[in-house]
Formats: sequence, structure tokens, C-alpha cells
Amino acid sequence: MSRYLSFRDIDWPLLFIVLMICAVGVLQIYSATIDTGYHSAWWRQILYIACGLFLMWLALGIDYHTLTHYVPAMYIASVTALLGTALIGNTVFGSKRWIPVPGLGLRVQVSEFVKLVIILLVARYLTDLKRDELEIREMLILSGLVAIPVVLVLAQPDIGTSLTYLAVLVVGAFLAGLRWKYVAVIAVLAMLVLPVGLHFLKDYQKARLVSFMDPERDPQGTGYQLIQSRIAVGAGGMFGKGVTKGTQTQLRFLPVPHTDFIFSAFAEEWGFAGVAIVLSLYFVMIMRIVQNAQTAPDRAGMYICMGVAGLLLFHVLVNVGMVVGRMPVTGITLPFMSAGGSSIWSNFLALGLVNNVRLRRFIN
Amino acid sequence: MVDRRLAWLAGIGFIWIAAILCGLIRLQVVRHAELARMAQARQETAREIAAPRGAIFDRTGQPLALSVPGKSVYINPLKVDIDAASDLLSRVFHLDRAELRARMSQARERHRGDLPVKRRITDEEQQLAARQPVGYIDVREEKQRHYPNGTLAAHLLGSVDFAENGNAGIEKALDRELRGAPGKSMVLQDVQGRPIDSRLAAEAKPGEPLTLTIDERLQYVAEREIAAAVEAHGAASGSVVAMDPNTGEVLAMASYPTYDPNLPPGPDDNPAARMDHAASVPFEPGSVFKVITLSAALETTNLQPESSIDCHGGVLRLPGRVIHDSHLGNGRLQMQEVLWKSSNVGAIEIGLRVGQENMYEYVRRFGFGQRTGIPLPAESPGRFRRLERWGKTSLASVSFGQEISVTTLQLAQAASAVANGGLLVRPRLILKKGSQAAPAGKPARILKPETAITMRRMMEGVVTNGTGSKARLAGYSVGGKTGSAQIYDYAARCYTHTYNGSFMGFAPSMNPAVVVVVTLNGTHGEAGFGGQAAAPVFKAVVSEALRILDVPKDLPEEPAKVFLAKAAVTDAPPVDSGYRQANILDDRDDDDAPGAAQPATPGPKAPNFRGMTQRAVLSEAFSKGLVVLTEGSGLASAQDPPPGAPLREGERISVVFTR
Repeated sequence: MSRYLSFRDIDWPLLFIVLMICAVGVLQIYSATIDTGYHSAWWRQILYIACGLFLMWLALGIDYHTLTHYVPAMYIASVTALLGTALIGNTVFGSKRWIPVPGLGLRVQVSEFVKLVIILLVARYLTDLKRDELEIREMLILSGLVAIPVVLVLAQPDIGTSLTYLAVLVVGAFLAGLRWKYVAVIAVLAMLVLPVGLHFLKDYQKARLVSFMDPERDPQGTGYQLIQSRIAVGAGGMFGKGVTKGTQTQLRFLPVPHTDFIFSAFAEEWGFAGVAIVLSLYFVMIMRIVQNAQTAPDRAGMYICMGVAGLLLFHVLVNVGMVVGRMPVTGITLPFMSAGGSSIWSNFLALGLVNNVRLRRFIN
Repeated sequence: MVDRRLAWLAGIGFIWIAAILCGLIRLQVVRHAELARMAQARQETAREIAAPRGAIFDRTGQPLALSVPGKSVYINPLKVDIDAASDLLSRVFHLDRAELRARMSQARERHRGDLPVKRRITDEEQQLAARQPVGYIDVREEKQRHYPNGTLAAHLLGSVDFAENGNAGIEKALDRELRGAPGKSMVLQDVQGRPIDSRLAAEAKPGEPLTLTIDERLQYVAEREIAAAVEAHGAASGSVVAMDPNTGEVLAMASYPTYDPNLPPGPDDNPAARMDHAASVPFEPGSVFKVITLSAALETTNLQPESSIDCHGGVLRLPGRVIHDSHLGNGRLQMQEVLWKSSNVGAIEIGLRVGQENMYEYVRRFGFGQRTGIPLPAESPGRFRRLERWGKTSLASVSFGQEISVTTLQLAQAASAVANGGLLVRPRLILKKGSQAAPAGKPARILKPETAITMRRMMEGVVTNGTGSKARLAGYSVGGKTGSAQIYDYAARCYTHTYNGSFMGFAPSMNPAVVVVVTLNGTHGEAGFGGQAAAPVFKAVVSEALRILDVPKDLPEEPAKVFLAKAAVTDAPPVDSGYRQANILDDRDDDDAPGAAQPATPGPKAPNFRGMTQRAVLSEAFSKGLVVLTEGSGLASAQDPPPGAPLREGERISVVFTR
């Protein structure tokens, strides 16, 4: 089948935009870590991106129909891996998210890759229904399937990533024609469950979730990151302070300026002008993916592309919202910019899925 | 269906994006200035650049107070655990923990990120600090106050406190000029408080150097002499002021006991040591005040130096008290003899002729009861009652120096007016501020020139013919007046038998180049009278002053021996038995008369040092408890007093050595 495929058909504009975002990310990582113990992070990031491109190429080689066919196996593997993480994972900053890969000195964050499985799972399940409407029974089954990894990730604890799974589920279910009354019921239930759910969270998590509304209440504790981030973004002003000149970043008032808070560091050094350009790039990226969903040859392809689009949009909006102070601090990465192999690779794999669908749009 | 749902999703996405964009614009455009300021406030701390304090020099340019580099310890109280840090720092730098902790929490409340913990740390403290496993001890190089001569002129110079602010003396009075203005640098700090970069916000303006009118050499001699005299006479304290009568420049101003301004005050320090007895501690002057009475008499009555005064045989009954002279039998004396012999009864008689109003007027004219305006923060104006509050005997009391308290400095100011021909010249301490000469005040005429000249001649007679014989100098004419005031015991409400022995004089007497006033507080017995205790100090200080000022001699070298026999008059305090028992006569023998009293004196005699080496002389003097002033080198060739002469308590023997 692959002889019908042509690299000419890859979404080059999409890839170009993604690589531009990656380049901005590398530059910002370089600037944010220049005087720290992480100063090698920028070229590692380049290696990750190169590996990511390779993974993307792998991901578009296997027909997505084949991939969806193996969803049960992948799902079981994912759950096993998440359980494995809970058993042998490395604990960093109080949460167990990483499995060490012996020999490479790498750590793999399993939950990042499970996202892709969730996308495929949702696509497969909704495609199998072959109906225009999603009944509540099926919705509950699908929710139950997604809930298992969500709970496992929540237990790590990693609220941000588990929420991304739910985002994929919600986007899929909504597109599959879940009735409005169920949408409303789910929304109301979510409202009711939220306070109860809060009860099960650890104190620091609760504090983090709430502190974005009033960070000044605990300026040295849970509010610290948000206050520093807001100051950094605000100090950037219209045109920013220039690369490596952002004092809030360089003097390390801003925490983790090369990973979760990379957008703050970028906003301080590039100002609103730079921020507007990067957000535009993200917007174009999402729109290209949505367009690929619309031109997908079948429902499975559409669900896959929309799952990727929803996932990436969710990432961008939650991360930037957190930086600006409109969202709680959930420890979610900014796609293609934040330093880190697992995140970059899962993003490129997702891109591979989109191109996988796109390459096969004329074949049926 | 799917397309409609997509549109819904897009709608939700857009609303979300719009909210985020609004947030970004709010932070980066609307609140940019405010947040940029907040960022700066977090990242930059202002650090004071201490301005070096202005140096203080004597009139010849010798340094009296300097700012020298030293090491100081600072911390940032905002970034330390106050309890742990005050524990550690008080141990390493030997500070009081509670006090340090209070300072730290106060600085923290005021959001001050820079607190001096201790200045002038020792090398040992610095090494110990370097070994502490904490990163917040900041040792900096700084200029610090140092007084190279230790105790020299301590009361004049004053001292500085912990934060280098003057807290006494000139350091306090002219603190603003000396301090300059501190500069400011903004230090960029990272989140752990490590300084990354700094920029100069304001340059430090160094303090202005001051040049004093003091002559370091004369100051040294004055301090040495007054210290020796206080110790020798068992006095409580003493002071000396040497002043140029024409310009008012204070050449030396000594107070004893003294202290070292380099050292911080300790809990067991003698509080008297920090008091300036020359300008801040007033006392009843006694007989030296007769100069004022007689000056007033010359101007307001027809009395002349030769006018005859009835001294009532040395006893005068006033309402409520009886005044005695130290020598009975003074029938009628010339006015000048009243001064020479220091007759209290005579002075009262003269004072009564002057009258209350005139007396009051002249005492005020001479500057008593008012501050001289010397730039010392604790100067005392003395006490002089307003005329309305004078009692029946006040005029009599003031005439011989009671019911008034004065400072040594005020006496020097008054004596200067006599010495310079009748002008009241305010004493000055500051010769130059920076490179600019400090302006001198305008002198005010208070006496006619002829009055001043007459007074000078009469005061010369005190030294040649009267109570001031010990002030006589080789080669110079000297004018002066002795004073021995009984100290009033406020608890017992009567005068005691401890004295303020004073001497107020000038030389050369016809064109005085220097005025010197010496006061010893709390001397005992006749040896503590002004003529005995204070006059030798005057002599030593005034001869050094004349040498330093290079004043030509106006007399042949050898003092005229003929006068010696006549110099038999003791300056005695008004013998006052206290107002309760008004009639007891203190019939003291006049045992100060040479010839009669000397052979009977059982005291030490001057040994024969002639032909001995300096070392031998000093060791013999030491073994006998004598004080020897040596001059020259080689073998002892001459000494004064001569061998076998009786020595009064505290008298020194000067020995000349030649090869």
C-alpha cells in the first residue's frame, strides 16, 4: 500500500509551522538555561526534535486503520505500563511519572504516550458505532475505558496529563453526536463532582488549583510561581527585554523557565509582539490539523485528527492560561516548545498520526 | 452534524483564546509599568555606599581623627532566618543576641535588605566568619573612624557611634559637614540573593575635612600637665583652656579624667571621663572672679589701683554670714593689693561700691551666664541669677566669685578680653571647613582699652607680688589671678574644705599672646589652692604655648630673686563656716610663708641628682616617688628645685643634662 504514498503529500505547511515553533522553543531554552546547570538543554532539545521527526516518519508509515485495529493490545499495554510506572517509576518533585530507560540515561514519561493510545481508542470506539448519535450507554462504556488510565495518571499524581485524556474524550464524544441534554448533564455532573473530587486531592494540589484565583494569599508558597510568572509576563511589555535579557528569567525568580513556564520566559524576553506571533503559529497549526480532519477519508481519520487537534489546543490553552494567571497550575507542557523528550516525541507522534490520515485521504 | 459540532468546538476555542489574549494584554500592556516596577523591586536592592567621614586636623595639619579602611559585616535580614542568624552572628562577632535580633526584625519590618551587623571586626572574627557554613555573612571593606592619638583631645573631638554618626564633641556638633552624603548603588540579585550586577545610582559625597584651632603639641602638654596635677593633688577632675586672646582661637582644651574615643563606651567606664570639664561642667570660680569686680570698679567708680580700701582687719559681717580673709590684719589695702593678696573683704568692699546694676551688667558683658557658642554640643552656660532674684548678700558674693558658676572656657573668654585690650572675642575651635577659612565672629568692646591695660598691670602684680608666684616664668612677664573656691556641698548645705583651685592668666603681660586658664576640681588643703596647684600647670602650659608661638622674651632670663621674699601670700578661699554656724573663725596659720614654714616642713626634699646619668636619676626618682622632667642628654648638670630644697606634694624636679 505504501507505494501509493508520496512524501509530497505530507502536510508541509503544518510541518514547517511546527518546526518554527520548535526553533523558538530551542532558542528560549537556550536563553533560559544559559547560566544554569541545565545549559545543555537546548542541544538535547534539538536531538529530541530530530528523534521526534523520525518517530513521526514511523507513525505515518503504518496505516491508521492497522493502528486502530490493534487498539485493544495498545490499551492493555498502556495500562500495564502505567501500573509499571507506579511500581518502578522514578519520583521527581513528589510524583511518580517516569520509567528509567537503562543504558540511555533517559527517563520516559509513559503518560505522554498514552495520550496517543487514548486518541486511537476514542477514534476506534466511535467509528465502530457507525451511527450519527452517541447513546448514553456507549458514552458510559467509553468513559469507563478512558477512566482507567485517567485514574492511574491522577494517582501519580499528575492532574494535567489526566485532564488531557478527558479533553480527547470530550472532543470525540461531542463530535460523535452526544445529545445536548447529555452534554448538559455531564457539565452539571462535572460541576457537582468537582468539589467532591477536590476532597480527594492532596492539600498542595488543592492549594495549587485554587491559588490562581488569588495568588497573593500565599505569595511565598503556592502563589509564588503564579506571581513570578505574572511579573515576568508583565515586565516584558510590548516588545520584551531581548533574548537572555529577561531579568525575571535570568535571575531565576521564575521557576522552571525552560519547561512548564517557558511561555513566561518567552513573554518576558519577546514581549506581546513575540507572544502574538507564537500564538498565531499555534492557531495556524491547529487550523491545519482541523482542516486535515475535514478532508479525512473516513470517520476514524477524522476522529484521530480531531483528537490530536483537541489535545494540542487543550495543551496550549491550559499552559498559556496558567502563565497568564487564568488557569490553575497543573504542570502541563507547551507543545513543541517545552524542553523534554517524552513531550516532544508524543507531540511528533501525534503529528505523524495527522499526516498518516492525510496521506491516505485519496485512497479508499 | 459533525460540521455543526466542529463549529461549536471552534466557538468554545475562540472564547478561550480571547480570554487568554485579554489576560496577556492586561499584563503586558495595561499593567506593564506596575509589573516592571515590581520586578525591579524584587531583583534590585539598594545598597548604601558609605561616604568617608571628613578628617579632623589640628592647626598644623596633624590628623586628629581619620577615616581608615576596615572590615564590616552586613547581612540581608530579609533573606535569613532571624533566630538562627542572631544566634550564629552574636556568637561569632561577640554581640548581644537580643539586641541584634531586635535590630534584624526592625530592619525586616522596614523592608531593609542591608543591615550592618558589626563594624571594625578583628582578623580573628573575620576568619571565624569565613569558616561558618552559611552564605549570608557579607564582609565588606569600609572606611571607619580612627583617632590616631588615642585620648588626645578626646573631649573636643568626641566620638562616633555604631553607624559612624557623631555622638559627642565636634563629631556631633558638625556631624552634618563631616558625614557627607552616602551614595547608592543598585545591586541586581538573583533569587537566592547572590549579587549579579550593580549600577551606581548616586555617587557618595565625602564629608568635609575640618581643621581645628587646636595645636596638637600644646594640647598634649596641657593634657599631660592637668593629668599629673589632678593625680598629684587627689583632685576629682581638672581642665585647661589655652586661647589666643586676639583671635579667640582655642589652642588647647584639656579635660581630665579622659577616655579613648576609639573604644566604645563600656559599662564600667567612669562617667566623669566622658564629661568635658572645660566647657560642660560649671563650678563656682572664687577669687579669679575678682578680676571682673575690679574691672567693673575701674570703669564705674573713681577707684584707682592705688585707692585705699578698708578691709576691716580681714573680717566682714554681712547679714547672715561672716567673711574672712586668709590673712588677718589687713587693715587698709590699696585696690591693687586687694587683688594681689586676694582679699575677700576688700573685693566685697569694692563690689559694694560698684553696685548691683553695674556688677550685673559687667558680669554679663564678660560673657558669664551665656554659652560662648563654641561648637561643642554639651556646652554649659553656667549659672548666673537674674538681677531680680538677687538676695541681700548676692552682690557681696558675686564680688568674690560666689553665687555664680562658670566654665573654664568662659573664664578664658573673660581673661582674653582683659588681655587683648577690652574686646570680648568668642572662642573658636574651627579654623577651616574643607579648604575655606571658617568666618570669625565680630569682637565686641566691653572694656575701655585703658581699663584693660590697668587690669593687666594689676594682674602682673599678682604674679610678682602676690598669690600667683608659682606662675612666674623665666624670660616672660606674666599676668594672672589665682582662685580657690570652697566647693559647696548641696547635701549638707554648707561649704566644704575641698576646693576648686584655679589659675587664670596670660603672657607676656603687656602684649599677651596666649591666655591660659587652669581649673582643678576637688583639691584638698592648702596645696590645693589655685596658687599652689593650678599655677604650676599654667606655667608649664603657657611656656609651651610661648615656645610654639615663638613669642620673643620680654624679660631677662633669670627671674628677679628680690621678689621671692615678698611672694608670701597665699591665695585663700573665702573662709566661710557655713550659714548655720556663722561665727566660727578658721584661724589657720599662714604656713605658706617661706622662711618661717620651710624648715619645719617634714615633707620630702629634693635629692642631689648632679653628676648622675639619666637612667640613674630616673630610677632614684621612681624609688622615691618623685616626678622628674628631663632635658638634654648626658650627665645631670643642673636641677630645679636645688638639692635639699623641700618639695611640695606633686612638685616636679626638672633636671638638665649636659655632656
